[in-house]
Amino acid sequence: MRGRENIVRLRLRAGGLLSTEHQVLALCLIWFLSSIPFTPGLTSSNNISNIFSNLLPLLIVASGQTVVLITGGIDLSAPSVMGLAAVVGALVMSGDQGLLGGSAWAAPAGLAAMMLAGALVGWLNGAAITRLGMPPFIVTLTTMTFFSGLAVRLTKSEPIYNLPAVFTSIGKGSLFYIPYALFATVFLVGAMHVLLSRSLPGRWLYACGHNVRAAAISGVPVGATVTLAYTLSGVCAAAASVLYTGRLETGSPVLGQRLLLDVIGAAVIGGASLFGGRGKIVWTFYGVLFLTLIDNTLNLTGHSHFTIMMVKGGVILLAALLDASRRR
Amino acid sequence: MKRWVAAVLLSLGLLSGCNQNSGPKRITIGVSFETLQTEYWVAGFEAIKAELKKRDIAVLEAIADGDANRQLEQVNNFIARGVDGIIAVPKDAKTIIPMIKAANAADIPIVLYNRPAGKTDAKSVAVVADNPGITKATVQYMCEQAKKSGKKHKALLLMGDLGDINAVGRRDGFESAVKEYSDIIEVVARVPTEWNQEKALAGVTNALQAHPDINFIFTSSDFLFPSIVAALKNADRYKRIGEEGHVLLGGFDGDPTAYQMLKDGYLDADGVQNVYFESEAAVQAVLDLKAGKSVPEVIRDPGFVIHQGNLNEMSPQMWGAQVKNAQAGK
Repeated sequence: MRGRENIVRLRLRAGGLLSTEHQVLALCLIWFLSSIPFTPGLTSSNNISNIFSNLLPLLIVASGQTVVLITGGIDLSAPSVMGLAAVVGALVMSGDQGLLGGSAWAAPAGLAAMMLAGALVGWLNGAAITRLGMPPFIVTLTTMTFFSGLAVRLTKSEPIYNLPAVFTSIGKGSLFYIPYALFATVFLVGAMHVLLSRSLPGRWLYACGHNVRAAAISGVPVGATVTLAYTLSGVCAAAASVLYTGRLETGSPVLGQRLLLDVIGAAVIGGASLFGGRGKIVWTFYGVLFLTLIDNTLNLTGHSHFTIMMVKGGVILLAALLDASRRR
Repeated sequence: MKRWVAAVLLSLGLLSGCNQNSGPKRITIGVSFETLQTEYWVAGFEAIKAELKKRDIAVLEAIADGDANRQLEQVNNFIARGVDGIIAVPKDAKTIIPMIKAANAADIPIVLYNRPAGKTDAKSVAVVADNPGITKATVQYMCEQAKKSGKKHKALLLMGDLGDINAVGRRDGFESAVKEYSDIIEVVARVPTEWNQEKALAGVTNALQAHPDINFIFTSSDFLFPSIVAALKNADRYKRIGEEGHVLLGGFDGDPTAYQMLKDGYLDADGVQNVYFESEAAVQAVLDLKAGKSVPEVIRDPGFVIHQGNLNEMSPQMWGAQVKNAQAGK
């Protein structure tokens, strides 16, 4: 009798674990542990720090995407913002051809220019969607095309080298073994978490995603809230660009061009809904961790690029299916 | 419950220990390609893997899909895994530098395949084709054919992405060859394709409209031939060698399309990068570096020119011919 009770309790507990919001984290753990026997070097401290340094910039840009997804929108322009910000920053601070090349102000001015570029593109997206009533998909698709074209044009498709050491250290330097990138990510992503979970604008964001009309009737400033979401996504993409550009030591106009699926995929795997109203920064962290783990383990075990793409595509598709089934 | 978890962890740990300790350690080389978008890269990738297999060396492969950041992550993964050497096709000359620095710091030899790094004090070895030399020899052959015809020729050059040092080398090789034949060759159009087939098609179509008498075309890469052939067909100018109105055609790479065009008698000459030489040299260089031997910073593939006169003799060394024959099941 007692044995049966135990089994029931165990089942309940296991079911609880799977149905709670931490299921993707459990999945990450299972994936990681079951990969250990087949993946030499997976648990080495070098590799663990590798996983985290690969994860941080993706987490930042995916967090921005999560905020947009919560409002029921989508931001396809995030990768082009990364390329544009990289180029704008490099054009300001590069020692070879930068406006302020060699000056002590080069790095801070470059950093500010990058963030401003991200915020401007994000604001532009938000304004076009809320004031002109255009669908987010087409607005961000066109801004993606326009700004990636602009980034290539500004540099004539050549990457810009010789960035100030102060700047590149943001991407690869560390303080007491803790990378600067980690400080930046914790600060930014932490702020987004607080915004979403503990602030009034956070509740407005969810309200817009659940039912935009109901939100408007209840007095939510829908236009400003949605514009805020896209502006934040732009700023996040620019911040991720800072980390990527820093560690590559190069301002590349095609930076992040292939990252879009990872960004949206991570948010959806975490549990953000493509239909709006659902999503959390912590979940997105789990999604990013899962995708990074897949990449890392399959890479270390010598799987071909095509296998990795198929596995990632499959996982994202499953997550999207799950999202659709929740809605039914 | 805790005991269960501990037992699972322990057995997994034991398993992983067995895995790592079994047998003598095989040499492992990480191979990172920026892209597999053209047949040339696929052929190079396969040739390197075949060369490593021949020497019983394990391969870790990674394709960055045109993304320099992904390439950086993949190279870092190789380093974390503790590979014995890295062979990489860089996305470009500059973004590869931090990866070379990381490999240097971990004391892992790194060899760049077909694309050299920009100016840096980080240590690497590059295996590259002699782009200016091979192109010059190819264009010289075309110019000789033009000379034999006794007619003056109007030439069109398709340039690659000039951010790519290989594209610059090929352009320079072309210019230096036609300079020697300035009495019979006049270059009337230089099309910047940025390694893009659509741009090449538009560029050749426009040039043929502006100069309908163009009768000499050289492309900096064979993968642009489909665009050239389409534009020539539209203008009814695609003729075999010896037919009235034939346009002298030349290219660079040695790909399967070029081989077929040579065989069918449309293409006059092609500069071939010797994929087999380059892949063997890259593997040898990485092993030599690992063994502490000194290796020159740049290993040059002299390549060769294949044309109607030496087609049968040279095609066994042309990678495009091998790919074509394999496709045909020969």
